[in-house]
Amino acid sequence: MINGNLKSNYAADERVLNNRYKQVFVYGMALLLAVFGALANDYLILIASKMGLLLIAVVGINILTGYTGLVSLGHAAFVAIGAYAVTIFQNVTAGIIPDGIMIFFAVPFAVFLAAAIGVIVGLPSLRVKGLYLAVATLAANFIVIFLIEQDVFARWTGGMVGLTTNAPSLFGWVLDTKREMFGLIAVVGFVTLLAAQNLIRTRIGRAFIAIRDRDYSAEILGISLLRYKLTSFSISAAYCGLSGALFAYFYARILPEQFELDLSLELVAALIVGGMGRTMGPVFGVIIIVMVPEVIKITFGAITGDAAGMAQLRAPLQEIAFGVLLVVFLLKEPLGINQIVDRMLRAANRWPFARG
Amino acid sequence: MGQFAQFAINGLMSGAIYALIAVGIVSVYKATKVVNFAHGYLIMFGAYFYYTFAVIVPGQPWAPEWLASWQPDWMVEMKGDLGMFSPLGAVLDWLANLPRILLGLLGAVLANAVVGRIIERTLMRPLMGQSVFAMIMVTVGLISIMSGGAQLIWTADADFVPHIAPNTPIRFELFGTMIFLFGADLVNMVIALLLFGGIVAFVRFTKGGIAIRATAEDQSTAYSMGISVPQVFRRAWVLASVTGAIAGAILATRNGISPSLGLFGFSVLAIVLMGGLDSYVGVFIAAMTVGVLEAMTQWQLGGNWAEIVPYVAVLVVLIWRPHGLMGQKEVERI
Repeated sequence: MINGNLKSNYAADERVLNNRYKQVFVYGMALLLAVFGALANDYLILIASKMGLLLIAVVGINILTGYTGLVSLGHAAFVAIGAYAVTIFQNVTAGIIPDGIMIFFAVPFAVFLAAAIGVIVGLPSLRVKGLYLAVATLAANFIVIFLIEQDVFARWTGGMVGLTTNAPSLFGWVLDTKREMFGLIAVVGFVTLLAAQNLIRTRIGRAFIAIRDRDYSAEILGISLLRYKLTSFSISAAYCGLSGALFAYFYARILPEQFELDLSLELVAALIVGGMGRTMGPVFGVIIIVMVPEVIKITFGAITGDAAGMAQLRAPLQEIAFGVLLVVFLLKEPLGINQIVDRMLRAANRWPFARG
Repeated sequence: MGQFAQFAINGLMSGAIYALIAVGIVSVYKATKVVNFAHGYLIMFGAYFYYTFAVIVPGQPWAPEWLASWQPDWMVEMKGDLGMFSPLGAVLDWLANLPRILLGLLGAVLANAVVGRIIERTLMRPLMGQSVFAMIMVTVGLISIMSGGAQLIWTADADFVPHIAPNTPIRFELFGTMIFLFGADLVNMVIALLLFGGIVAFVRFTKGGIAIRATAEDQSTAYSMGISVPQVFRRAWVLASVTGAIAGAILATRNGISPSLGLFGFSVLAIVLMGGLDSYVGVFIAAMTVGVLEAMTQWQLGGNWAEIVPYVAVLVVLIWRPHGLMGQKEVERI
């Protein structure tokens, strides 16, 4: 129960972290991340970086699917566009823009390009809804990856064999270890999460929620569907583009097949498992979606002792676990882990009185 | 012109198979309002079951010999005095394979029907009345389960299966050019068209079909009129998995079996949306159009451009007609 939440001016009321619990939680988490980044071993850093990269994209999907209610099964395309745009930009303008400040041109370029293409892909959303939109975005994903693989563009995109990426440099400080990259990813991830939380408190965010709840009613209230649906698409595409840009910096090489339908489904699955339309949903979802295959890998390795014949059973098992996770959450807990956490917090708050 | 005709015929033949796959998606949608994203993987299961019953089972030591290769005396005699590559030879080769082909088809249909029933009972029935989004995402989760499951059961190796029909080459002249076809492809097309027609007739004229259409119109009214809606659901899923099994067997003979067969489902999904989700006629037109367009793209631009034809086509059609070519427009009330 939040009490003592008295505010004496409007500035305090308008803050993103408008009560002490949120402040303690957010600052505490920031501190925890800093300590983690300094102390964790390389394996944990790698896993956490993977989560961070996925998180930024899932936050984007959350704005589109969770808040605006538009289903997309093609957002991996925007991650691909971000990753390729940042690398190609850097390759083309190398020598013109100094390396130390390159990241401040390349990343915004990638984000804007993803947002612009997001508007184009979002155009069908004005005509079609729900399932038709899901298939339209799925088609867009196939087309984007197909174009990247074509020989015509291979001069820039590297075709099927992909591209070698560059390490980012902040004013001459080259982030070439995974730990340094984790720092960058953690900071960007934290900022995007807070930015998303802030977005839904604004006029734009409220318009999104109105569209999700009933789009015709929203239109009658004077919300322009054209404007806000496309805004939602471009914002979520921008988040995915940012995730892609960091993805390209994080890994030594990008391949077109990394951005196929599997990634799109993973993004949506993470959102569903975590909880749609909630700020912390993507965080919980990403942790589960990244951890489950790792846990399977570790336990499987412990049981079979890395026997050669058994190793090929692992990939299908991970795939099955992913599907089972999605199905079980949809059947048993459609609001995701966020709902479970809410319930637990509520029970703790009311203890020893009412439960649930 | 002759080459055009050759590619158009090739396109129509693959279009017929698209239509056969699409009929499964449309039937499930009509009865349950669920669009099955995992239909491609149901087809993959059909293909693997065909492989199991037509290749693995006859290859076992306990299987009778005539199952793997049927060689009665009269066949050996006829084969003895035949030259190489004669059409009769191809027919005789096919006859020798006939027992295992029949076993394969029968096994695939039955096993896939069981799989369809299990999916319907365990995953779809509990979601009756839930949001469409949840149902769609369950089928998306099913994709991972089925593709992982297939790799676990059959391993990911690609393999080949016997053709369903004698694979004699057929040549004839049209517009002054030789047209070249394979007998098996032609029979596949006929099977696909017959099944498609049969299902449309079933939905149109039989009692069970009318129940499906009534449920599509309004679930609760259908319930109150004494139609068992769960039974309609079950029937639709079994129908989809049975047509999927045959489509899978046909696809397996054309491309060999591999886990990537499941990806067919996505292009067929695009075709279904293009035709209109609840219209058999629209879907048939869309399937044939996409089949021909693919063949034309293959002819003019090269093979790999053909793979995005269904996706480009569905985007164009959806912007022009949001509910597909002949889909029923939904009327929303606020």
